[in-house]
Amino acid sequence: MLRFILRRLIYGIITLWVLITLTFILMHNLPGDPFANSQKLSPEAKATLMKTYGLDQPIWVQYGSYLKKIATFDFGVSFNYPTRSVNDVLKQTFPTSAELGMYAIIIAVIIGLTLGIVAALNHNKGWDYVAMLTAIIGVSAPAFVIGPLLSYFIGVKLGWLPPALWKSPEYKILPTITLAFGTLATMARMMRTSMLDVVSQDYVKTAKSKGLSRFAVVVKHTIRNAMLPIITILGVALVNITTGAFVVEQIFAVPGMGKFFVQSISTNDYTMIMGMTIFYAALLIVAIMVTDVMYGVVDPRIRLAKGGK
Amino acid sequence: MSNNILEVKDLKVSFHTYAGEVHAVRGVTFNLKKGEALAIVGESGCGKSVTSQAIMRLIATPPGEIKSTSSILFDGKTDIVKLSDKEMENLRGSEMGMIFQDPMTSLNPTMKIGKQIAEGLIKHQGLSKQAARERAIEMLRLVGIPNPEGRVDQYPHQFSGGMRQRVMIAIALACNPKLLIADEPTTALDVTIQAQILDLMRDLQEKTGASIILITHDLGVVADLAQRVVVMYAGKVVEQGSVDDIFYNPQHPYTWGLMRSVPRLDNDEKQELIPIEGTPPDLIAPPKGCAFAARCPYAMEVCLEADPDITKINSGHSASCWLLHPNAPKVERPVEVGGHHNG
Amino acid sequence: MQTVTQDKFKPVVKTGNNERVVRQSLSYWADAWRRLKKNKLAMFGLIVLAALTILALIGPFLQPYDYQTQDYAARNFAPSGSHWFGTDDLGRDQWVRVWWGVRISLFIGIIAAVLDFTIGVLYGGISAYFGGRVDDIMQRIIEIIYGLPFMIIVILLMMVMGPGIFSIIIALAATGWVGMARLVRGQMLSLKEQEYVLAARTLGASSWRIILRHLVPNALGIIIINVTFTVPGAIFAESFLSFIGLGIKPPMASLGSLVSDGVAVMRNFPWRLLCPSIVFSLIMLSFNLLGDGLRDALDPRLRK
Repeated sequence: MLRFILRRLIYGIITLWVLITLTFILMHNLPGDPFANSQKLSPEAKATLMKTYGLDQPIWVQYGSYLKKIATFDFGVSFNYPTRSVNDVLKQTFPTSAELGMYAIIIAVIIGLTLGIVAALNHNKGWDYVAMLTAIIGVSAPAFVIGPLLSYFIGVKLGWLPPALWKSPEYKILPTITLAFGTLATMARMMRTSMLDVVSQDYVKTAKSKGLSRFAVVVKHTIRNAMLPIITILGVALVNITTGAFVVEQIFAVPGMGKFFVQSISTNDYTMIMGMTIFYAALLIVAIMVTDVMYGVVDPRIRLAKGGK
Repeated sequence: MSNNILEVKDLKVSFHTYAGEVHAVRGVTFNLKKGEALAIVGESGCGKSVTSQAIMRLIATPPGEIKSTSSILFDGKTDIVKLSDKEMENLRGSEMGMIFQDPMTSLNPTMKIGKQIAEGLIKHQGLSKQAARERAIEMLRLVGIPNPEGRVDQYPHQFSGGMRQRVMIAIALACNPKLLIADEPTTALDVTIQAQILDLMRDLQEKTGASIILITHDLGVVADLAQRVVVMYAGKVVEQGSVDDIFYNPQHPYTWGLMRSVPRLDNDEKQELIPIEGTPPDLIAPPKGCAFAARCPYAMEVCLEADPDITKINSGHSASCWLLHPNAPKVERPVEVGGHHNG
Repeated sequence: MQTVTQDKFKPVVKTGNNERVVRQSLSYWADAWRRLKKNKLAMFGLIVLAALTILALIGPFLQPYDYQTQDYAARNFAPSGSHWFGTDDLGRDQWVRVWWGVRISLFIGIIAAVLDFTIGVLYGGISAYFGGRVDDIMQRIIEIIYGLPFMIIVILLMMVMGPGIFSIIIALAATGWVGMARLVRGQMLSLKEQEYVLAARTLGASSWRIILRHLVPNALGIIIINVTFTVPGAIFAESFLSFIGLGIKPPMASLGSLVSDGVAVMRNFPWRLLCPSIVFSLIMLSFNLLGDGLRDALDPRLRK
């Protein structure tokens, strides 16, 4: 088990390093001048700026100091607003995004799994079709389609809920539903498939042959085993919800990291993009790592295996 | 009260598939005496597993269906076919236990062995968790698992195939059932392990007095464990009788074919293994006459037109074949079968 | 006892052979096609997809406008006889722009699928074929790439290469092949171990014969299923990028950018949001329905 965790950890660190290096290389090959947006600068002023940002150094020195900064969680300052550090922006916007993301993942997991379970237990009956329909809508209408539609119909036309902004709880309902929907659909679909797979396993037959009630067979033997593969897609779900937040925050004008990220993209704020990318990536890589380890903890076949996989 | 623990009468089971209704079991009748071990033999798809699962009511409905004219009388009083799901749950595991073919897949991979044995005890005997655990350890010791106190908290993947089958036997026998159904219990195991499991089953049958239904296609296993044999073909019983009847005085050409297709040690004569030619009929549209006629070397016109009646050979031995009709031509039984009685 | 006349006890003369298989056997592909045809949802997807493809091809020619000419006299028209989907704030015809968007979506979806397939099969195939050290190294690389958040990498690549259809294709190809490579390798390795392959080898089949007759048909089903889900994945990615302003360059239209523009003006001109949203959802829906149907039809374990 320890070796398994260690192995995941090492992979996580390598992946992160690859990502940081990749970001560094790509940003260095960006077309155009990083100062093109600023007003006409005299060559001297430009040189001073280059020096402040360390851009006059040889590339590997820049890379070294960049790595060092990242390691101390210093993501630098914005190119466009030199008074604003990336860390400040993260501090300001991350809590909002985290809140939205948390709501979305909780809703997606709880409703998605329930729907999947109910569907599988009523295979080829009413609830099954509801779940399948949800799943199909979920993949066909991603957040940037469903969000505006919800905002328009429920927010503007019917006026039931505020169509945008992020204030009191009722403001948070539409963005949460929009962000959760795709993942909810995936969860329902995966859980349904997994349940149907487990239901036909021999050990479920064994459980029945012991005379356990239908409820006990479903809860103790079927659901528990059917949830195992779901844990592995939790990491992917987190990634989808994070990237989904880019557009959801844009659509509903939620002052989160995603909205800021998209803004930085349209204003070519390089350091901001770089810092946020690495922050995002680190977050997701850690999340994937955690779900991997979680899977190991839950599945005794991995937990008790000597020396990992 | 009758001496039979189980009386299966005209059992019919169908599965509704996209291609049509598959008549998997088409009117099976047999009895099982208390303390007896009965083997059901036949090739794959002959309905022997479906029969056993129908007795446990483990057939998923739909697509499966046990016809309401069937009856499975358990212990002289309860008709399993007519029980409610709830009543069946109380019977399953307490009065009857089941062992499945593949021990690698029939244990829950994420539940401790002890808990899997204890579940039934808690449900049927109302034991506390602690008491059930004690009993689980006792059961593990009984089925020959070394260090049961340590093993009880382990997971299935930490056990070998043979050990897992022992655990399955412990689960099935935990509540002292009157009937144990073993569906090909040794097929998935190594030969040496097979013998151990059979020894264990024989030993436990003597100790507990449980009746056994053994589903198998391995005649060696039959000779080892069973007292009586039911031979099934295409969803019907073609012949049944004591082990001696079936091995030394078989009456049905299909049974002859079965006997000729397995090697025997009790015969000094040079013997050739002869497969039964052809494949079983499609049970979506079963033939009108004898199902074996298409593969039977002795088939007559009547065989294609009508199903033969059951002919009694002696008190416990019967077969369904037109050759047993008084008007039928006498057919010389192939030499390799049976021969002299030396058991 | 049934009464039977004596003459019925004549032995029957057996003709033909006993080994005939009772139920008609269908080839893998014939059976898959039969099952796909029976799947109403999948056929619905196929028909919608065909209709969308035809409209994408001829749609822009049905109206006398093109996707970029601005007409200040015709700004923000509601859908009507002359502008079926209305016009945008620059007076461009939305019908023509929507179908250009569909063209781009389908083009990107198909190209991305072809590239994913090619790279994935090559990488996975080489990895599985050579095995040993080569496989080890190639798998470690995959494991690292797999851990990278895909959309963020695509966004970074898009920033470096600038917006445009070819940047999108390159960015998607650079990140999309990993799943396919894993799949192909896994399939190849597990099939290599299968008993029927061993059986074929024992019967003296040559390696090429085994690859062509056994490995390819068995792996192909799962690969095709994967490809049908790659297409909507790529279409989604392009629209997503265009929505956040990184995809297709204006004045060219993409469904993602059309939806994005529509969001800004939905209070006053809701059709600008609705038309591209509905068409986009139909594309995704039809591909997913078809993909589901193909999965059910092609998965050999599901054959009855």
